[in-house]
Amino acid sequence: MDKFSFKDVLVTFAGLLITSFIAWVLITATGNNPSEVALYLYEGGFKGTRNIANSLYQATPLILTAVATLISFRVGMFNIGINGSMYVGALYAGWAGYKFTTLGHFTHVTVCILIGMLVGAAWMLLPALLRVYAGVSEIISTIILNFVAVLFVSYMANGPFRADPIAPATPRILETAELKQIFPNSQFNTGFFIAVFVAILAHFILNKTTFGYELRSGGDGLVGMYPSRFSSYLGIPSDRSAIIGMLISGALGGLAGAIEVLGAVRYFFQELEFNQGFDGILIGILGKLEPIGSIIASLFYGAIKNGGFYVDYKTDVSREIIIVLISILIFFVSAQKIVKGLEKYPFIKKMDNFFSRKKM
Amino acid sequence: MEWIEIFDISIFRSLLRSTAPIAIVGMAAALCSAAGVLNIGLEGKMLNAAFAGVYASYTFESVWAGFTAGIIAGLLTAALFGLLSFTLGADEVLAGLAINIFALAGTTYLMRTIFGQAGFFSDPRIVGFEPISISFLQGTFLEPFLSDFTYSVYLMFLLAFVLHTVYYRTRLGTAIRATGENPEAAEDAGINTTRIKWLVTVFSGVLAGISGLFLSLENLTMFTEGMSAGKGYIGLVASSFGNNTPFGTFGASLFFGLGDAIGIRLQGVYELDSRLILMIPYALTVVVLILIGIRQRLRVRPVPISES
Repeated sequence: MDKFSFKDVLVTFAGLLITSFIAWVLITATGNNPSEVALYLYEGGFKGTRNIANSLYQATPLILTAVATLISFRVGMFNIGINGSMYVGALYAGWAGYKFTTLGHFTHVTVCILIGMLVGAAWMLLPALLRVYAGVSEIISTIILNFVAVLFVSYMANGPFRADPIAPATPRILETAELKQIFPNSQFNTGFFIAVFVAILAHFILNKTTFGYELRSGGDGLVGMYPSRFSSYLGIPSDRSAIIGMLISGALGGLAGAIEVLGAVRYFFQELEFNQGFDGILIGILGKLEPIGSIIASLFYGAIKNGGFYVDYKTDVSREIIIVLISILIFFVSAQKIVKGLEKYPFIKKMDNFFSRKKM
Repeated sequence: MEWIEIFDISIFRSLLRSTAPIAIVGMAAALCSAAGVLNIGLEGKMLNAAFAGVYASYTFESVWAGFTAGIIAGLLTAALFGLLSFTLGADEVLAGLAINIFALAGTTYLMRTIFGQAGFFSDPRIVGFEPISISFLQGTFLEPFLSDFTYSVYLMFLLAFVLHTVYYRTRLGTAIRATGENPEAAEDAGINTTRIKWLVTVFSGVLAGISGLFLSLENLTMFTEGMSAGKGYIGLVASSFGNNTPFGTFGASLFFGLGDAIGIRLQGVYELDSRLILMIPYALTVVVLILIGIRQRLRVRPVPISES
């Protein structure tokens, strides 16, 4: 995919406008008042410290899953299984949270996070190897592993890791393993800063280092195609970078799950439901597969997601409307020919050149 | 232990019943893959059709209204996929994924907003498909094996034969396979590959729609959130395991159906955690993916003839 350009931003905002119109029609058609919904959406997302903190909390795992998505896409692998990594990462981070009793605060948190990342990465090992050494589509294998992950963690919370005889849940994590919550009445926690740090780190590694270049050379410009011959002409083993990219992607999924358990929920239970792995794919695309773009898109998505909860609570409109609208927005953004078609207008070309020159 | 108890006529019947939706959507996937379209969006088409079917059947209290609505929903979703990937130049995988997420959230949204219910929607007004008994089989030894199924099972057999004929006996079939194997050569031979891809996508949308309808309107007449539960993806794996041929896909689907059927039976007989039993189809899929990988490693690669 190309770098951010003026026409991409233009298409995104035009898409937002059209999507808002579709939302208006959809909400009216199901018998609700769109302006009321819009007001609640705004209040839930941005009004008051608590709502803003909650919006940032919603954005936390999304930043990580979006970066996980973009890293795998940019090495030329379509990792759809980040949600699965997130589940197993959360489960084992929670397990480490109550299992190790003698560690100090910093060490314990670090150990839990590392275990979550390790398990998340391990979850992606099979699809990566199957793809690179046997040509089995990683798309399908990672999707199927998502289903396996949900049932696996549910089984573990019910069986081996179960502590409570009444509810299927693991013991609560120890205080030494907690990521601190900063605001009262909000699950916003220090994990947010970890997520932002990781995204910025990813930006530098991908764009400014040799390692990042090696990773990208496998897939850039060829998102979702078979590993490009281009990188092997350069003498870069694209197979290796594909596997490494996939493992990093899984590790970040595991990290998202670990932060969710250590920072917000504090224990793992059967009904714990994640879909940030799938949302992350949408956000990654919305952010044009750039880490900084993903942060911005995640903050936006986190705010309207939190607003969506408020809408769900206040009106009859179900919160799924947010995901529906974002996927419609993706339809516009992913349509490359609309973006390309804009090039023929001289004004847009001029603006494009203006902004890309500034970046240099 | 009592393995005899597990393998009897009822497991054969349950095998065919669980194979049908996978085989039908698998053949849709095979058709697409044969034409070189990676159609991840089948899952979303199934889900949309399943919901539309239940909604129309509930509103008009007629199963054929549900059937029509389901097929239209499958068609429209397929048209959206085609529009995005062939006309507007979106990546096929991204378009398919966006459609799946759209369908999952969209059907959940509509169910919660229209019916005001979360989780599942069931109502006596929803009319489902009735089993049909085949009169000329009555009294013969085949009756317990082949009679009194609903439409899906018969459709599955019919489709396998029809698609096989189309594939290998008609110009259209050749055009489809040519489009998948070598698009440039197909274009040179005068085949409009974009039109073939559109055709295949639309037809696979109908098939996925039918498959989704059988999920929601056949044995249980209800709609559950995300009720396709990965069957669209399993269909893709089945088609890949069966080399994208109709009979191959059918055979692979039987394998998945067997896993399902054994799982259903195990729930009654053994004390096994239900989650592990639910995992059987997905675990089987992973095993099949590994088998596909091994097969592809072992396959003899054609050696290019060197120019002299």
